[in-house]
Amino acid sequence: MDSLEIIIKYWPKLLDGTLMTLKLTFLSVLVAAIISPFLALTRANASPMVQAPLRLYISFIRGTPILAQLFLIYYGSGQFRPILQEWGLWSFFRDPFNCALLTFVLNTTAYQTEILRGGIMGVNRGEIEAGKALGMNKLRILQRIVFPHAYRIAWPALGNEIILMMKASALASVVTIFDILGRTRQIFSRTFDFSIYLWAAILYLCITAIFVLIWRQAELRLNKHIAPSDHLSADKK
Amino acid sequence: MSKTDVILEANDIYKSFGNVEVLKGISLEAKNREVISILGASGSGKSTFLRCLNFLEIPTSGTISVHGELVDIVNGKPVNPKHIEAIRSRLGMVFQQFNLWTHRTAIENVMEGPIYVKKIPKNLAREKAESLLERVGLKDRMHMYPSQLSGGQQQRVAIARALAMEPDAILFDEPTSALDPELVGEVLKVMQSLAAEGRTMIVVTHEMAFARDVSSKVVFFHAGKIAEQGTPDEMFNNPKTEVFQKFISKI
Amino acid sequence: MFELFSFGENGWGDEILDGVAITAQLAIATLPIGLFIGFIVAFAAMSKNKPLRAIGYGYTTLMRGLPEILTLFVVYNGAGLLLNTIIKWWNVDAQPIDFSPFIAGVIALAMVFGAFSAEVLRGAFNALDEGQVEAGRAVGMSPNVIFWRIKLPQIWRFALPGLGNLWINMLKDTSLVSIIALNDLMRMTKVAVAFTKQPFTFYLVACLIYWLMSLLSEIILAKMEQNANRGIMRV
Repeated sequence: MDSLEIIIKYWPKLLDGTLMTLKLTFLSVLVAAIISPFLALTRANASPMVQAPLRLYISFIRGTPILAQLFLIYYGSGQFRPILQEWGLWSFFRDPFNCALLTFVLNTTAYQTEILRGGIMGVNRGEIEAGKALGMNKLRILQRIVFPHAYRIAWPALGNEIILMMKASALASVVTIFDILGRTRQIFSRTFDFSIYLWAAILYLCITAIFVLIWRQAELRLNKHIAPSDHLSADKK
Repeated sequence: MSKTDVILEANDIYKSFGNVEVLKGISLEAKNREVISILGASGSGKSTFLRCLNFLEIPTSGTISVHGELVDIVNGKPVNPKHIEAIRSRLGMVFQQFNLWTHRTAIENVMEGPIYVKKIPKNLAREKAESLLERVGLKDRMHMYPSQLSGGQQQRVAIARALAMEPDAILFDEPTSALDPELVGEVLKVMQSLAAEGRTMIVVTHEMAFARDVSSKVVFFHAGKIAEQGTPDEMFNNPKTEVFQKFISKI
Repeated sequence: MFELFSFGENGWGDEILDGVAITAQLAIATLPIGLFIGFIVAFAAMSKNKPLRAIGYGYTTLMRGLPEILTLFVVYNGAGLLLNTIIKWWNVDAQPIDFSPFIAGVIALAMVFGAFSAEVLRGAFNALDEGQVEAGRAVGMSPNVIFWRIKLPQIWRFALPGLGNLWINMLKDTSLVSIIALNDLMRMTKVAVAFTKQPFTFYLVACLIYWLMSLLSEIILAKMEQNANRGIMRV
């Protein structure tokens, strides 16, 4: 079988794998995006005592390989099987998809928290004081001033983190999940045709390229207020 | 004056950046112990000319010779490029922005050239550097990094760095323009003492007092050409061209 | 429980330590090769020659867009295949040989490290103030002396934090090599788990060892940065 025949025969499997990669990435990024603002605020403002466990968690995640984290959760949960069964959690941990998702959420939450914290620290104090002077309450200041600025500052770094997460999701294939790489290894083990790896590489690059375009468009919209040309034309109107 | 008295000679220097011709045939010679001030409005080409003298900019055409090392430039290419580094090591250069190496202390900045270009043993270079820093009044600051020194102090270290190469002539590119007004004096004082010592200097400057009182020759650039030159007396008391009259009346 | 990690017949201490040694060897062997690739690629990307520049940018974009584990598989399987094809060419009857996972690991990790470090180095070259180089030219330094005495020390200072991050990332990425059967820390942990049936305990220990190595690296890097930043300390 030549390379073209292989891709014609197996493309539905690769497509299936692509959807799995996107699903894993999207879900983990989404859950982390919901949790991380709260953690980032804690990291930026809370007392050192409150921060200590959070810092420990972030340092652990950043200091250990994501593969080791995945094995710790996927295989490690087996050690507590009786307890987990008792609590009715075993069915969750038995499923490799759940374990991969949990690992990725824990991982990207730590990174997103640190990135967003940087954004929060970068917000101009004067603008927060201006909000206070107008009599805004704390929640209003966060919602109208702090977070809009923080996300603008953090946007490029968050985009990078999402790409890293997408790439890291390929590790799910090691715990029998059929994402792009999982499918690729499966097809390779049947055909021993090396070209299938190149198709996988193209798929990953396409996902990255499309994501970068979307993210940049979003960034332009977010930063409308500092784009000089837009600013001038808005003034003229 | 005999021919050997000429230290630096630039002949018919042209320089273009793209389509813009900045220097339109400039010739200048500097004799031993001469202090030449180059004046001119910004954009007149005076800094470009100075940078051409030690080939930080390569002229489009012309010849430059320093103590017999001659470089001929045709179509923006030096015919004998091997002489360029030799010429550079014979000319000291003091920059507007000091350009001290930020990763080295004051004394290391002064020692660097002698050690790595002139291949002088380290201990000799150190002794020399110490006495030069003393000479510019910075012996007590010699182990500080540039970021720990004021602008005026940095420029004095830069002068010591240039002196360490025992140059035949020193080029100054607006050495006081980047300094706060209260720091200008300390640098000018060092320059004045160098002139009194009999050093050959070519100084691009906006300091009229320096041009008038210290230099032996004043050259006025206008639109890429030398519009007028002479002794400070002639130039300031009896300006011949209208452009130079206008220039000094503004100050 | 501590018996599990004792050294000798009954414990897994020595096996795990062997794994740590392999992990460290892998990372240390990768660093110079990766840095070398990084410099080459950075120079290519900054070159005046257009095709060379395209290759430089193409390489970084490609390598940074691919999952590290995919690069590892491509190198391991691809290079193995290539090697055996060449051997078959040479001698039709030759037995197929296995490509060393250690070498495959070093090549793949160095390719990735090279791509990322090229970006860091390019940024550092761009941050270099042209005046610093001019001052070197003005005292008559040759391009060679300028590179070693002025450019490199300053670039080192600008690039060190970025390279430090990449080092820690690479240290963690060595764990991927366990998947292609190299007996690194991760793999030895897996072996221990298979025998003891205590996956959580052993993977936690593995994590703690990686964590320790990362923290140690951070401390050393902080010291190195302090050292490199002597000249720009504000008083």
